[in-house]
Amino acid sequence: MPLMPAHFAAGAATKPFHAWIQPVFAVIGPDLRGEEVKAQSQTANFGLIAVLSLTVAMALLLIVEGHGAGRRGNEDMALLLFWSGVVLLVVPISFRISWPSVARGERFFLLFLLVEALFYYKAVHSPTSFVGHDEFLHWIAADDLMTARQLFLSNPLLQVGPSYLALEILTTAVADLSGLTIFAAGMLLLAILRGTFVVALFLFYERIAGSARMAAIGCLVYMGCSTFVLFEAMFSYESLGLVLCALIFAIEAASKDLAGQQRLKVVSLIVLLLAALAVTHHLSAAYAAIYLGAVAILEILRRGSSTRSDARFAAFTATVAIVLPLLWMEARGTHITNYLGPVIEEGVKNLLAKLHGIGRQSVAITSSSVPAQPFGMRAITLLAVLLTALGLATGFFRSLALAAPSSERTGWRAIGDILGRRWRDSRIVFLTVLAFGFPLSVAFRLSIGGWEIGNRMGTFAFFGVGLVVAVGIVHYWQHSLPQGWRRIAPALALSIIVLGGVTSSSLDPIKGPYKVGADEQSIEPMGIETALWTKNWLGAGNRFTSDRINRLLLAGYGRQDVRVAVADGVDAGRVFRAEKLDSDEYWALAKGQIDFLLVDLRLSTALPVLGFYFEPWELKSTRPLSATALLKFDRVNGITRIYDNGFIVIYDVRGLHERS
Amino acid sequence: MSAPSHRDLSMACAWATAMVAAVAITDSVLLRAILCVPMVFIIVGHTILRAIGIRTTSLAQHVAFAVGASLAAGIAGGLVLNGIDILTPIGWAIWFWIVTIAASLIAVERGENSDLPSWPRPAGIRPWHGVAFAVAVLISTGAYALAVRDESSQQQFKYVELWMLPPTNGGAAHLAVGIRNAEAKTQRFDLEITLDDQPLAVFRSLALAPGDTWTREIPVSIATTAQKARARLYRSDDNRLYRSVSALVPSG
Repeated sequence: MPLMPAHFAAGAATKPFHAWIQPVFAVIGPDLRGEEVKAQSQTANFGLIAVLSLTVAMALLLIVEGHGAGRRGNEDMALLLFWSGVVLLVVPISFRISWPSVARGERFFLLFLLVEALFYYKAVHSPTSFVGHDEFLHWIAADDLMTARQLFLSNPLLQVGPSYLALEILTTAVADLSGLTIFAAGMLLLAILRGTFVVALFLFYERIAGSARMAAIGCLVYMGCSTFVLFEAMFSYESLGLVLCALIFAIEAASKDLAGQQRLKVVSLIVLLLAALAVTHHLSAAYAAIYLGAVAILEILRRGSSTRSDARFAAFTATVAIVLPLLWMEARGTHITNYLGPVIEEGVKNLLAKLHGIGRQSVAITSSSVPAQPFGMRAITLLAVLLTALGLATGFFRSLALAAPSSERTGWRAIGDILGRRWRDSRIVFLTVLAFGFPLSVAFRLSIGGWEIGNRMGTFAFFGVGLVVAVGIVHYWQHSLPQGWRRIAPALALSIIVLGGVTSSSLDPIKGPYKVGADEQSIEPMGIETALWTKNWLGAGNRFTSDRINRLLLAGYGRQDVRVAVADGVDAGRVFRAEKLDSDEYWALAKGQIDFLLVDLRLSTALPVLGFYFEPWELKSTRPLSATALLKFDRVNGITRIYDNGFIVIYDVRGLHERS
Repeated sequence: MSAPSHRDLSMACAWATAMVAAVAITDSVLLRAILCVPMVFIIVGHTILRAIGIRTTSLAQHVAFAVGASLAAGIAGGLVLNGIDILTPIGWAIWFWIVTIAASLIAVERGENSDLPSWPRPAGIRPWHGVAFAVAVLISTGAYALAVRDESSQQQFKYVELWMLPPTNGGAAHLAVGIRNAEAKTQRFDLEITLDDQPLAVFRSLALAPGDTWTREIPVSIATTAQKARARLYRSDDNRLYRSVSALVPSG
């Protein structure tokens, strides 16, 4: 009685299953086949270094010319020059860094060259001033610090800013001592931070993976993170925080084989840096606490050769990493949950909505005037994500096997050992698990509300992604002495991953004409001149409100006291958007503390690129603001138009206060 | 057994002293930058590493750790100087000097040799390598200068500013009126100023070249009630109203 079809019978099913699963296991399996090529004894190829330096310089020239063409409105030429420059900058040097038999020093120098060239790439977008939104917030704080010679001054545009002033402290120290401007001092600091970050990351990976080749590849993969090229190179507190994090990880890893007094000394340096990190950036301090906490837990769980002193040191540094930021927050009365809580809540809500297919945000995306990225840019970003995922798939078990005790590092037995809590390095185990953050961060980035979480999560997850993909490439794709396609394909894939880091870092990387609500692309000379006019003719410190961009310009160049809200519970956006001034808005202006309103009529010409004119939480617009709404103040008694340049108007509302 | 070498510490202390002197006596940005930037980013950190007694295994590791310690020292300096109210250039110079000297003294007291990782001696460098590298630096520097020039010449919007500011409280009773031409060509304007719709002043055929600013202070009489002043700017070519601004003259 044949009750089931033959192909469901066990014997018949096992063969195809085995035939299918064995190649998959061979791909993802934990075999480590790429023993380190003996590169240490090799000498650096200075000829190639010289040629690559020239290539990088030519690439940077092309990028500058691309921006120049963009500024002149020649879009096609801008695209051609700029992207040729980017490809020339990234591809040859990435190829050389990831090549199997290269001297350690050469890889190291080329990584340093690449990271500084990428910083140059960021700098030439605006070569004489800070233009990023977050950069403005910190520039204003640094300027306040230089003027008042005092820390902890309030910053209405960044509530938590006064509690995390380390970046401003270091910048003003350099500016004060050398006489450089804040911009020059800040750029110098950032250039040093960029270089320090890649050196620390290289040393960290090299120490835990035991291979300069894997360390260099890991660093290249980290450059594929969407935050690496621009976000972490901004004049903003995370740029410093992340460097301190990487240094702490590198120093902690360097101490792993030390004992007694020597280890205590290293721990004291870690504590010094953790203290600095606690006052630098809340999220970076959280990254350090999570990393050190997880390593401590894994050390405690570890069986076999783990010594009590290893666990004790790990537990101590983890405790310090957790306690110091909390103490600082308590001392400053900073409630970080109020600051980060809504962002996380909104992000999770958006992700869940996306997963359930509601997709309510998609309407906003299509309705806003977000510039369409060129197809090539989108293709590279997507390809980079896919290649990273492939690297993770082939590196995950191999990375775990790398953590297994030396005698058990072949086959699935290594994974069995890890499951049995026997590993030689807790750092590798945690970083391998951390790499799971990558798909999650990509999922978050698919929604507007979750974008910010995905971005921040990616910054941390890429510490793990870098290691796992590097292990995958060295132990599966390249092997020890790769020939043929095994030499070319992994290097090409790494170039694409780094290019993906560039393409995903910005919607519109080429400098072009003014755009509405586009942060960097909205900052141009007329807006700056108007802000300077307020300082010259009205004096500094007047209470102003305006849209997001002009608020930054007023606070930065105009040295005005800018406010987001007109009065308690009444945001500026509500007053500007209303077609006519209702009694609520009228009384908010009359009784509130705002003295001047700056109206930018260009807002009525297009939808905002970033989706909002005033604040991220405002209702998404489906059509541009009306000029009638923006100019309604002309018809209100007590409000006078004191400045007009045809695009920007300034209203004096002090007459309303007197009337009220 | 030879006595431990502290040449690096002596040099660090001399550098710190030179930095304090430079900050105290010169305004030369170049000289101060040459002395201060290495101090802030590496020298102070190096002395801290020596004071703690951390042994590094490579030059890269030593430099990275020294930069980290320097950053921490700088941040701590900001907090300390703020506490004693001398967050000034000389305050900063003294802070880095004190930390360098104190760390050096502790390191000397510990009596350990510097034991610094040796500088890797590059083999196989030819003159053309140096030339190529110098050319690369020149190209990059030139490209940056080009970017600065491109940025300064970008002026998407051409415009004319008109403004009128009311008398300040307790100040002289006059209105401040101004025009600035940010167009590419010379512009001619007529300007009319009224107070409560009564003519107050008229300026005919004002010619402003690109970048020129014209300003006047117009005396006004303060009345018992607030008055509204208005300035209207007409283009001389077509006599069309071009800009209009206003200000409230407060009551006496």
